[in-house]
Amino acid sequence: MIEFKNVNKWFGKLHVLNNINLKISKGEVLVICGPSGSGKSTLIRCINRLEKIQDGEIIVNSSLVHKKSSNLTQLRGEIGFVFQQFHLYPHMTVLQNIMLAPVNVKKISKKEAEKISMKKLDQVGLTGKSGAYPAQLSGGQQQRVAIARGLAMSPEIMLFDEPTSALDPEMIGEVLDVMVNLVSEGMTMCVVTHEMGFAKKVADRVLFMDEGMIVETGTPDEFFDSPKTDRAAEFISKILTH
Amino acid sequence: MMAFYFSRLVEIYPFFLKGLLMTSKIAFISLISCTLIGFVLGIARSSNNLILKRVVGVYVAFVRGTPFVVQIFIIFFILPEWGLQLEAFPAALLAMAIMGSAFICEIVAGGINSIPKGQWEAATSSGLTLIQQLRLVIVPQAMKVILPPLVGQYVLLIKDTSVVSVIGVMELTRVGWVTVVRIPEGLMVFSLVGVLYFSISYPLILLSNYLERRMAVQ
Repeated sequence: MIEFKNVNKWFGKLHVLNNINLKISKGEVLVICGPSGSGKSTLIRCINRLEKIQDGEIIVNSSLVHKKSSNLTQLRGEIGFVFQQFHLYPHMTVLQNIMLAPVNVKKISKKEAEKISMKKLDQVGLTGKSGAYPAQLSGGQQQRVAIARGLAMSPEIMLFDEPTSALDPEMIGEVLDVMVNLVSEGMTMCVVTHEMGFAKKVADRVLFMDEGMIVETGTPDEFFDSPKTDRAAEFISKILTH
Repeated sequence: MMAFYFSRLVEIYPFFLKGLLMTSKIAFISLISCTLIGFVLGIARSSNNLILKRVVGVYVAFVRGTPFVVQIFIIFFILPEWGLQLEAFPAALLAMAIMGSAFICEIVAGGINSIPKGQWEAATSSGLTLIQQLRLVIVPQAMKVILPPLVGQYVLLIKDTSVVSVIGVMELTRVGWVTVVRIPEGLMVFSLVGVLYFSISYPLILLSNYLERRMAVQ
């Protein structure tokens, strides 16, 4: 479903993705972790070309994402992206936020879009908030709206870039619960996160990155309980004691 | 004597009204054209396309760095030598459009650049096209930043229409010049001219102040 072939990317001199090879299959839940600056966010941002790569190939659902000429509008509609800082549109209500892409990208009627949006809002447990503006919501609520916004396009893939890192501790659970529910629906997910509990509970595979390279992959139990590399062991001990 | 001149002035007030009408006409057309061109240029200036950005940047720098009178002279007196002959009125409109759009371009670009990158990214990743991103997400938010200085710029542009009197367009300032030849009461004549300008620009000044307060609250 998603394939990276010898992908390289530089930010100036910084080799931010170093020869990445990766296959993610349909329905898989992949958790990506690693120290900051290791390239994990960049990795998932390449999947819908929020970042361009300089070398290699990225193929998503048979679309050649690395090719300049590829028109990604449709593909992007099939991939939901959830940001660390939510990035809801502040000038729109919750409902308008969720309806925007279905109406303008998929060109479905407003009525239909509203129906879908309300359903998604219900799915993230925020039925009563459709008329609120983002600024009136808590961080956890905003992030759940952001997830609903992604889901409203009926994506096949959901990408999460540190979805709980900007949240107060007591709000992390509500967002993770929504994500766990998605897993049970069979969604293909790539999640950049340090939430070990989440990874252990639902991830099929954990991928550890450092300095632009995939250092280690394994099942959550393998990775967290008996990491193969010193670098990963050091990292895990740090997130455990923080 | 003063009273005599005053009665002459009352006699020729239709002439002033005509001038005011011409000034309003130039101002109205210019504000619209400057806004349209200014938004297009401003969006280009804030884009990621380096060449586009540079070209617009050079245009803006040139226009902002030269006096408006000189620009009008170039359009009215120099362009004909290159085969583009314009009447005074269209020449004035062209000059206004070029000058005003450069200033509005900077205001628009500043507003767009003030929108966090994440808004673009959210809109991009949801599959919206570039035009949709601008129309639905970026520009509506940027308007809060753009509107107060934009209306302020409108006031400046309205006053700048007086400069086109130098190429003989019969607008308010020109009317003043012509009148003062026949009625040598400069203070009276140009006070009247000033008051008439003020009557158009003051509502906009109030609007600008109001917008500034309102946007600051939000």
